[in-house]
Amino acid sequence: MLVHSRGAKWAVWAVFLLLFVPLFALPLLVVLGASFATHWSSVLPSGLTTANYRAATRGEALQALTTSLLTAAGASLLALAVGTWAALAGAALKQRYRRVVDALFVLPVAVPSVVVGLSVLVAFSKPPMLLNGTRWIVILAHTVLVTAFAHQSVSAAVTRLDPAYEQAAASLGARPSTVLWRVRLPLLLPSLTAAAGLCFALSMGELSATMMLYPPDWTPLPVLIYAATDRGALFTGSAVAVVLMAATLLVLFALSRVRTRASYR
Amino acid sequence: MNRRLLWALPPVALLALFFLYPLALVVQQSFQPDSGGTSLTPYSDVFASEAFRNALWTTVWLAVASTIGCLVLGFLLSLVIAFVPFPGAKAVARFIDVFLSFPSFLITLALLFIYGSVGMANGAWTDLTGASSGPFQFLTTPWGVLLAEVTYFTPFVMRPLLAAFSQLDTAQLEAAGSLGARAPRIVRQVILPEALPALAAGGSLVLVLCLNEFGIVLFTGAKGVTTLPMLVYSKAILESDYPGACVVAVVNVLISVGLYGLYRVVSRRAGA
Amino acid sequence: MGIRFDSVTVAYDGNVVLDQLDLTVEPGEVMALLGPSGSGKTTALRAVAGFVRPVSGRVLLGGRDVTDLPPYRRGIGMVVQQYALFPHMRVDENVAFGLRARKAAKGEIRQRVAEALEMTGMAAYARRHPRELSGGQQQRVAIARALAIRPDVLLLDEPLSALDARLRSGMLSELARLHRELPDVSMLYVTHDQVEALTLADRIAVMDKARLQSCGTPKELYRSPADEFTASFVGGANLVPVTVGSGGVSFAGTELKVDTTGVLAGARATLCVRPHLVGLGEGPNRVVGTVTEIQWRGATHRLYVEVDGHSVMADLRELRNPPALGDAVALHFAPEDAVLLPAGVTHE
Repeated sequence: MLVHSRGAKWAVWAVFLLLFVPLFALPLLVVLGASFATHWSSVLPSGLTTANYRAATRGEALQALTTSLLTAAGASLLALAVGTWAALAGAALKQRYRRVVDALFVLPVAVPSVVVGLSVLVAFSKPPMLLNGTRWIVILAHTVLVTAFAHQSVSAAVTRLDPAYEQAAASLGARPSTVLWRVRLPLLLPSLTAAAGLCFALSMGELSATMMLYPPDWTPLPVLIYAATDRGALFTGSAVAVVLMAATLLVLFALSRVRTRASYR
Repeated sequence: MNRRLLWALPPVALLALFFLYPLALVVQQSFQPDSGGTSLTPYSDVFASEAFRNALWTTVWLAVASTIGCLVLGFLLSLVIAFVPFPGAKAVARFIDVFLSFPSFLITLALLFIYGSVGMANGAWTDLTGASSGPFQFLTTPWGVLLAEVTYFTPFVMRPLLAAFSQLDTAQLEAAGSLGARAPRIVRQVILPEALPALAAGGSLVLVLCLNEFGIVLFTGAKGVTTLPMLVYSKAILESDYPGACVVAVVNVLISVGLYGLYRVVSRRAGA
Repeated sequence: MGIRFDSVTVAYDGNVVLDQLDLTVEPGEVMALLGPSGSGKTTALRAVAGFVRPVSGRVLLGGRDVTDLPPYRRGIGMVVQQYALFPHMRVDENVAFGLRARKAAKGEIRQRVAEALEMTGMAAYARRHPRELSGGQQQRVAIARALAIRPDVLLLDEPLSALDARLRSGMLSELARLHRELPDVSMLYVTHDQVEALTLADRIAVMDKARLQSCGTPKELYRSPADEFTASFVGGANLVPVTVGSGGVSFAGTELKVDTTGVLAGARATLCVRPHLVGLGEGPNRVVGTVTEIQWRGATHRLYVEVDGHSVMADLRELRNPPALGDAVALHFAPEDAVLLPAGVTHE
């Protein structure tokens, strides 16, 4: 379309590959490669082994994986519920009020995660809401952080929803609650699963707020990876990182299957 | 109307309790030095410290430089994917989406293997030249953070750009081409104006995310690179200086929220 | 159940989109709301459905004021242009939706769904999803869904305009058949297509610029329209400015014989003659002009003839030897085929 001559096309593609491969493909490949190695002091890693994975799938690493999965699942579900509620309630409001709700719910995106961590720490370290030192403070912080994303993507979908469906339902005698449960939410299902996937991935990789809050018995994967690399165990850290990526992708894939079924039913 | 406001109340109340109230406490604590009372002492202490001024400067220039890098790189790469498509361009676009779902610190971890003191690049150099150490020693400097941030955040620019490009009518390009315009002119006069809103929106988002980035800096593990979020963490967790941490947090929030507000205004205008 | 608009006005942000509509649809009657886009016809329908709230006036259904009733309490069937079938439900679930919302008994739901699908000829498609159906089939399901709740009033908002021409005429006769089978259901049929309105409606309400222009049976509106807008929108018409004399009018310096009952001599008026009632060649009420355009339409020729600065259309049975562009021709019409209208825009 833009470049017509064969030579120029190949030149453009060569530049693209030269930028794309080292910057984006290489990092992921390198982490994958390192996770199977014991040394890396040349072009390629050496001392190939699967020992890193044995370490990354048992003991504290396995526990961290469970911790991360539970935290991410809990935070995404809570965030999805609150975000969807806010998006649906906000859409029914007048422009003026809707803007306020939107602005409030988008604020956590702009506030640094570290600050969210700090503020939760400050607020919930003393009675009556003493959560510090429990797993709940981690889940709470994650929920706050990802709610903004859930709200944003659901409210975009709500705006796109054709009002003809709700009106058809209403004309057939469906009360607003029936319209919500039988028509609007099923129609939003694809967007809801997409939002859930986004929240889940963000929570799985959350490090900033978690570093400020995690109790010793609730260590998510990113903290474990940091701890490993901090003490120099880069290769074990890589294996744990691959486990983290694989777990995230697996859940995202499962959610996208649900989404495909939901949108082609 | 009142009924509808009532329905919006529960989620807003939850947000207020778990986000706004804690944030307000941070602001409150930033005015309460450990010595007791309410004063501006924490602010004057923090503003006077060299560490804070360095961190502020490092944060801002790193964020600005990363954003510019992401915009340029993101624009170029999206341009190729959208307008000089090659077999597998779709897969690359999918890869970008997957990339976005990984945490940022993975990039730093990967860079350690690529450019670290005993990584791929330096290893190759020492193998080839027989020298005892390689030339790539920038990883623990701000440049290492810059490279990581540009890498990690470029996809955040590419996604809105690719969406904008897919809306662009290819007939426009063909018309411009048939009128004798060459590629650089088409890019400048047809594509760039269409992409500006997406660039502005993506750029401001990346700027804010860079200002707030923590994982990349933490994993770099360099004492020489301290940013505001890093300072919040170290003051609060390592030094237990809560008033100081809160002051830095307030400054960081003001900068980020101010810029994010700008982003929202820009993106609303752009209809994104 | 009848529908009554009692001086209904609808406005958005001070913009009046429906201006004091007074209209009554009798029980069992098919009323077409005919008009161009922006004429307020859809707004009127949506006011009956309950999706727009009038700023003043009342909407009555069967004598009951429903102005303040939410849509789901009105018990009205509605079919819209884009069908709005629920994509996540099968055809029978779509049709059952209204009955389930009313918490009807299971057996009754099954029976009524079957009945509605039978009536619209969609019984064989009950387990399909809407996306597996063609446009015409989707429209039938939408109608079945609306009929399943046995409404007394059926609202149809441009129901055929998303279909192609061939399907449209088929659906038109389907709708006419449905009306015969359901003689008690009042229908309000919004359309911009005069053929649909003429074919289907018992009466037509012609709307323009948020106002009701005229209302009458199709024959009344076609044979003796009351105003220029109705004349040209329903069926198309030649409209030329004339001065009324005694027993006729004068146009382009020619005296033409027309029925001038009830019009004062010397007044200015608009002469309306349907194009297919204009003949070529000599005859009574003859005018002369120059051919400016000829369109061959298969069975007919349409001639555009300029007479004294006015363009006059004539639809003629296919001509063996049509005139050429620029030819001077004579046109004529029978006195009883002309209608005199009050002077309107043709005089401006």
